[in-house]
Amino acid sequence: MPTRPARTTSRPKQRPPEQHRSEDDPRIMLDRAVSADLYEPIPPYPTRTEREAEFYTIGDGEMFLNLGPQHPATHGVLRLVLKLSGEQIVDVDPVLGYLHRGVEKICENSDYYHVIDQVDPLEYASALFQEWAAVLAFEKLMDVEVPPRAEYIRVLSAELLRISSHTLFMGFLALDMGGLTPILYSFIERDEIVEMLAALTGARMLFNYFRIGGVNGDLNHEFMSRLGDWMSRAAKQTEANTGLLNENEIFVRRARGVGVMDREMALRFGVTGGNLRASGVPFDVRRAHPYSVYPQLDFNVPTRLEGDSLARYLIRMDEVRESIKIIDQCLNNMPDGPVMAKLPRLLRPHPGRAWGAVEGPRGMLGVYAISDGTDQPFRFRIHDPSFMNLEVVPHLLPGNLLADTMAIVSSLDPIMGGIDK
Amino acid sequence: MRALPATFREQARAVRAYAVESRAFALESWAGASPIDRLALVLVPLALFLFVGAVVSAVVMLGPTLDFLGANQPLVRFVVVVLGILLLTVPTAFLLIYMELKVIARMNLRVGPNRVGPWGAAMSVVHGLKVLAKEDFAPTGVDVPVFTLAPVVTFLASVMTLLVIPFAPGIFGQDFNIGLLFFFAMGGLSVLGLLMGGWASFNKYSLLGGLRSAAQIVSYEIPLTISVVGVILLAGTMSLNHIAQAQSGSALDWFVFKQPLAVLIFFIAATAEANRTPFDLTEADSEIVAGFSTEYSGMRFGFFYFAEYVNVFIISALITTLFFGGWTAPFNWPWPYNLNWLDASGIGAAWIVIVGFALLVAADVLGLAIWLFRGRQWSAPSAFGLGFVIAGAGVTILIILACIIALDWVQGIFWFMVKTYIFVFVFVWMRGTLPRVRVDQLMGFAWKWLLPASLLNLFVTAAAVIILNLPSAR
Repeated sequence: MPTRPARTTSRPKQRPPEQHRSEDDPRIMLDRAVSADLYEPIPPYPTRTEREAEFYTIGDGEMFLNLGPQHPATHGVLRLVLKLSGEQIVDVDPVLGYLHRGVEKICENSDYYHVIDQVDPLEYASALFQEWAAVLAFEKLMDVEVPPRAEYIRVLSAELLRISSHTLFMGFLALDMGGLTPILYSFIERDEIVEMLAALTGARMLFNYFRIGGVNGDLNHEFMSRLGDWMSRAAKQTEANTGLLNENEIFVRRARGVGVMDREMALRFGVTGGNLRASGVPFDVRRAHPYSVYPQLDFNVPTRLEGDSLARYLIRMDEVRESIKIIDQCLNNMPDGPVMAKLPRLLRPHPGRAWGAVEGPRGMLGVYAISDGTDQPFRFRIHDPSFMNLEVVPHLLPGNLLADTMAIVSSLDPIMGGIDK
Repeated sequence: MRALPATFREQARAVRAYAVESRAFALESWAGASPIDRLALVLVPLALFLFVGAVVSAVVMLGPTLDFLGANQPLVRFVVVVLGILLLTVPTAFLLIYMELKVIARMNLRVGPNRVGPWGAAMSVVHGLKVLAKEDFAPTGVDVPVFTLAPVVTFLASVMTLLVIPFAPGIFGQDFNIGLLFFFAMGGLSVLGLLMGGWASFNKYSLLGGLRSAAQIVSYEIPLTISVVGVILLAGTMSLNHIAQAQSGSALDWFVFKQPLAVLIFFIAATAEANRTPFDLTEADSEIVAGFSTEYSGMRFGFFYFAEYVNVFIISALITTLFFGGWTAPFNWPWPYNLNWLDASGIGAAWIVIVGFALLVAADVLGLAIWLFRGRQWSAPSAFGLGFVIAGAGVTILIILACIIALDWVQGIFWFMVKTYIFVFVFVWMRGTLPRVRVDQLMGFAWKWLLPASLLNLFVTAAAVIILNLPSAR
């Protein structure tokens, strides 16, 4: 406290008693460290593993940089502790768990219908896929026959959401490289799709639309008119939006050859989705382990060999084109009929286990469910692609520059809700 | 007799209501006057008093004052220049900030600011007030003197470069014979402020931003300076006034046609020098949060912010002066009529006619027309008010046009500002379009491409000056 001259004219103020400041007070520790020039961000506990001890030992000319959990460019609450030498990244320690809510345990304590509601916020940018994985596993568990119209509606709405997710990815990738404009163009597309799905499902982001044995409601007039409106120019608009970045020399130079993930590495870490296909492995759950009506639809699995950030971006843009193709076919082949199977009010599947996996925008979204014969799943395991994709980050970053952190992490397209579960 | 209500507030309301009912009472008693009446009672006498006082003192003091000012011309010039330059920076920064908000919004398919003022034009003023009202905060560990000085250094460095820029014939701060050198010296000082801010903030993002700015500006100063040497060789002088004069004539005499490569190099290097997209690495928000200004708040941050936009204006002004003819018109100005009666030195009947008489007549005619052919929404007062506004705007435009025709310094400022703001727009355009380059690409580009190109340009220009035996070689 700075001393003030004593007041003579007025009564001195009553101060609260001086608070006891112990030696462990972080403010005192920080002040001391600053004045003694000893300030180092060591973990606030004794190191637990050899790897941690090695990472938090600082070399000559190196420094730590906490990137996140509050940082304008990390997606959600990802925290990366970077060990920097100048601008070059020497080592990375990703810190996860800021969004952990124990969703798996919540699901194990909900009955089968409520699980769909619980898993929605995991992949918050594309919630339908997470619902789909859970529903798929439960349908296998209970041997439910889904009406074909419901399957087509599922494919239709999910592919719309895939386009929305990929378009957002494009915008955020550009934003992380300093381009201000593409994100606004992405949000226009995304908003139209989201409003369309809101007309169908009643919600903009957390839809709670898929049901065990079908979907919650049939297609309605507003959805169809919005969809027709949007489809009339979707392909053209996609080309225009991607042209913003594809033909931009600065963007291409920053993304090409950065964060190269080769085929072996991608397979070793269990990377799936566009990130894996950008490394030259044509693995797509829709083709490799077909589900729903995908076997009857005609679409390609775009693959690239480079494995860098640019390839990951281009793959996703190709997937948008394929998704538009799929939506077209869905609209042409949509059968009539019910959208829900007949099911009892209370579901008690026989004891058993089932694995349901769908191809989400970020990769294979899987759910492993075990039933013990009650109305709640005994075990509900969620396989999240973002988590697998993020595992390669500590291996891609070292050797690159600080600015490439964004180009690499953003091109892997993580969603923290699914990673922290 | 009414019964007075219980509380003071209700009493006051009753008194006011009574005052409104009987207007005569309102002006008889201060307590009964409405707020507007009170304001009028204060302001009208005050304005009358000030007006009479101003007229009397003008009559009494005008002669001696003019004599005094005439006797101390250097002093007057100094004060006017300092005030003028300091006062120029704030509206310039406001205008640029508003322009950037609005133009980038349009490029993003957004509307942009549209709430404060007409078309949101007062947005940057509100930004300025907000920044002023914020807490001036220095975090733990900050080196307070350096932390405080840094924005001042940056801002002053920018402002001082304005000193040598010629806005029009006769309108400049100071005509140095080393004007360009002074410009680069002062422009180079601004990096010192960024470095100080980055170092003193006790924040790693700030430190990285400060170091990046130092590395970037040191690298780009070299091609920037060398690319200008060609112009110096052609003009034979480093005074910006003389460089602008050397390009007078038509647009074909501008140095942009004699030094096309230098313009390109200068533009790129100047973008890096002003820390603008795609070279805004020092404040790359997706990498190092806000760079050197991460820990700044309040008016300290405001100074950095202002300096950035003033820098954009200055760089555009310098490009205009060096390569695009400065204040010279892009074509010869053949005006056949004699407009001497409009000359400011002969203030006379013409001005009074235009400003007073014509304005009133035009306002009445327009107001009458609007009132006669009004739609349902225009009452008579608003019709005449609108007529007055339109007539006023028309007369203002007429006066400006007359001044442009008659006065060469108004003409000079007009052309200078038009050209400068075209380049300001290009800077804003680039910000809306381009992503950011990486540090190594930035450095590689400066040393591998810009520097050799600028040296080549210098060599070719020097050879041409000697071989063609241009006047500046003699």
